[in-house]
Amino acid sequence: MGNTTYCDFPEGAKKVEKVGDTLHPSLERIIALHPQLVIISTASQLEVFTRQLENQNIAVFVTDPHDLEGVFRSIIQVGEILGHDVQAQTLVQQLRARTSSVEEAVKHLKPVRVFYQLSAEPLYTAGHDAFVTDLIRRAGATSVTADVPGAWPKYSAESALAAQPEAIILPTGGSMGGGNSVVAEALRHSPAVAQGRVYKINDDHLVRPGPRAVDGLNEMARALHPEAFQR
Amino acid sequence: MNINSTRFDGIPAINGASRDRVTLRKTVISCIVLSCALLLTVVLMSLVGSERLPLRPALCALFSFGNAQCGLTTDQFDILFEIRLPRILLAAAVGGSLATAGAGYQALLRNPLAEPYLLGISNGAAVGTMMALVFFGANEWSRPLLAFAGALVATLAVYRLARGRAGATPERLILAGVIVTTFLSSVIVFVTTLMDATRIRSFTFWLLGDLSGSSKSLLPLAIAIAVSGTAVLTWNARSLNLLMLGERDAFDLGVEVSRVRITVFLVASLLVGSSVAASGSVGYVGLVVPHLARLSLGSDNRISIPAASLGGALFVIIADSAARTLIAPRELPVGALTALIGAPLFIYLLRRI
Amino acid sequence: MLEAQNITVKYGERTAVAGASLKLSPGEMTALIGPNGAGKSTLLQTLNGRIQPTVGSVTLDGQLLETFDRRTIGRRISVVAQEAELRFPVTVLEFVLGGRFAWAASGAWGWETKRDVEIALEVLNETELTELSGRLMNELSGGERQRAVLARALTTEASYLLLDEPTANLDLSHQTMLLGLVRNRCDNCNASALVVTHDLNLAAQFADNVLLMKEGETIRTGAPQSVFTAELLQEVFGLRVLVDTHPVTGGPRVTPVHQTHRYH
Repeated sequence: MGNTTYCDFPEGAKKVEKVGDTLHPSLERIIALHPQLVIISTASQLEVFTRQLENQNIAVFVTDPHDLEGVFRSIIQVGEILGHDVQAQTLVQQLRARTSSVEEAVKHLKPVRVFYQLSAEPLYTAGHDAFVTDLIRRAGATSVTADVPGAWPKYSAESALAAQPEAIILPTGGSMGGGNSVVAEALRHSPAVAQGRVYKINDDHLVRPGPRAVDGLNEMARALHPEAFQR
Repeated sequence: MNINSTRFDGIPAINGASRDRVTLRKTVISCIVLSCALLLTVVLMSLVGSERLPLRPALCALFSFGNAQCGLTTDQFDILFEIRLPRILLAAAVGGSLATAGAGYQALLRNPLAEPYLLGISNGAAVGTMMALVFFGANEWSRPLLAFAGALVATLAVYRLARGRAGATPERLILAGVIVTTFLSSVIVFVTTLMDATRIRSFTFWLLGDLSGSSKSLLPLAIAIAVSGTAVLTWNARSLNLLMLGERDAFDLGVEVSRVRITVFLVASLLVGSSVAASGSVGYVGLVVPHLARLSLGSDNRISIPAASLGGALFVIIADSAARTLIAPRELPVGALTALIGAPLFIYLLRRI
Repeated sequence: MLEAQNITVKYGERTAVAGASLKLSPGEMTALIGPNGAGKSTLLQTLNGRIQPTVGSVTLDGQLLETFDRRTIGRRISVVAQEAELRFPVTVLEFVLGGRFAWAASGAWGWETKRDVEIALEVLNETELTELSGRLMNELSGGERQRAVLARALTTEASYLLLDEPTANLDLSHQTMLLGLVRNRCDNCNASALVVTHDLNLAAQFADNVLLMKEGETIRTGAPQSVFTAELLQEVFGLRVLVDTHPVTGGPRVTPVHQTHRYH
């Protein structure tokens, strides 16, 4: 069994053999481990790699979820392949339950206009195809950049300023370190900053299309609509 | 070497045309015209961007130098004066610096194809800036300083490599430039891959330029360097005129060749360093603009250096405005635009006999 | 007077020039003759400070050359060499005006004065380049370019002209014209010229003095008659020569004998 360099969840994953990072996996290392199956998430950039594995007669399973539903589906599929159907179904049921409870809580509340800042300089945000855009929607908010084509577009400072977001999400603090903890210059005078509605969320929970995405959803919803979760 | 076998293997100008020599009057008029064009461009490009601003109020606010809001909302006012105008001024500083540096290198290396980007000097400055970001991240002044150092080292490397027994022939120079550029590009990619993504900027910033990072505190420095660098090189223009046609001849005619050489190296590296620290590598400016200046106004550096400076500012302002409006609200790297405009333009210039 | 005293130039182990002495007096043209590698160009380049001699000194009017700044040297001593990298378009007038650089009033900056332009136009007239003054240098023929280079040197109004193989690829008429111009300057303006050349007969016809060198050593110096002797030339150039008196000029005429039995 092997996983990529940045895999650190659950704890057990850290002890597993590393085969390189997600963009540059080491074909040799993988073959040396004689895997029965290689699971890849994000189809696009690794087409060549996938073909190389197939040439080595190694079974490949590719997942590329664009939204939360897609994540649930891929969990079930992986479960079926590995013969752990039941556990997979149970997990997905739990995740669905948690998701629904979050969505219920924020259902009748006015969606918050949110700016998702991937990085400040240069200014990058989440576009239409980004996974996290779906999470934002479910958390009772609208991403002001939800219609921008692409997944992670480089965004104009002017448009960010003009968008006047009510809240800003800063993905930071996860395995990629403590960077991106400052709001971009252009947003300094936004309503979000004025009202102190700048939320730092663990980026591992927002960018990795896996079960912890539901944690991310939860954290965002609680930050954006605290009143919905007082009990 | 014999004068009779000297081929004119540079870029030809208008064939057979008689040209009047450059005078003070011609220089002053050209500079005034170009300055007016620059001012006009600054105003026009301030009205252009990913967010629409109402025309009259925006013009009114511009001409009041930001003292009157003229009916613009606070947001619109901020967009105009906090985001757009500083960016346009930075583009002007970067464009002017790179064009002047290009003109300086071309005169010094006696080669119309010498350019900071092609010679790898921009990449040297980029590596310097990277080192500043990694080791002195917090200190903003470390960036132009280390960029300057990086540019200087790259310049020396190219100069050394290009010197053969027959002097720096065009072939050797281009080869030296290619070696230094590609080597340093690899270093940049290497460092960007290894370093923590949050401390280093993206590839596109370094290798294709990006004016969106608003280092407003460095803007006055960038402008000061652009203006003073151009002034110093223009002051040496007459020496450069002679140097451009042969180092030995220049020496014999009374030019203090070593002094001028060192001055140009230092000033050009400073110009490139400050540009790259602010905006990453923006290519083609130092190649196309001085060329255009020389073609239309003559090879005399007393006119072509100031003209190139103003022209470079114009060029990059326009390229950057395109970069930030073509796929609004998304942005393109400005270096992609300067290359897209610059390369065909250069091909056209090459073919103009 | 421009004088080189006991000049030795060494590059590491190699001696390019050994103990050469030379005097350039106003009104005189001196020819520097010798086979390749004799050190002629090197010696010439010590005279305007381009090369520093390892031993010996160069004095200008009694003062050491090093004590003068480049600009002053540029006004007094002028070089016509062969390096011309015309990679940038420049007109003949602009090119020739370059010679006035050393006279610029305010250091490196400044514009040409009316006087500068007058002088340039006079020289262009002298070198028969007036019609070509607006043309680009690269459009000129080899001979015309060489004239322009000489013209530029003449605009410096220097009293000492150092010419390094100025007639190398010129046709006969241009060779005569060029050296004629230099001779003119010496005679009428009291200039002094040093010409490095391979053409012994041109030297014999135009020069007042000849300095014969071989492998850095000075073999003989003096008037053409005394230097151009068959024995000496044969020894220096390693080839059989015939030296007789030129029927028209009365000076020595040197004819190399390449093959003895071709024509009977």
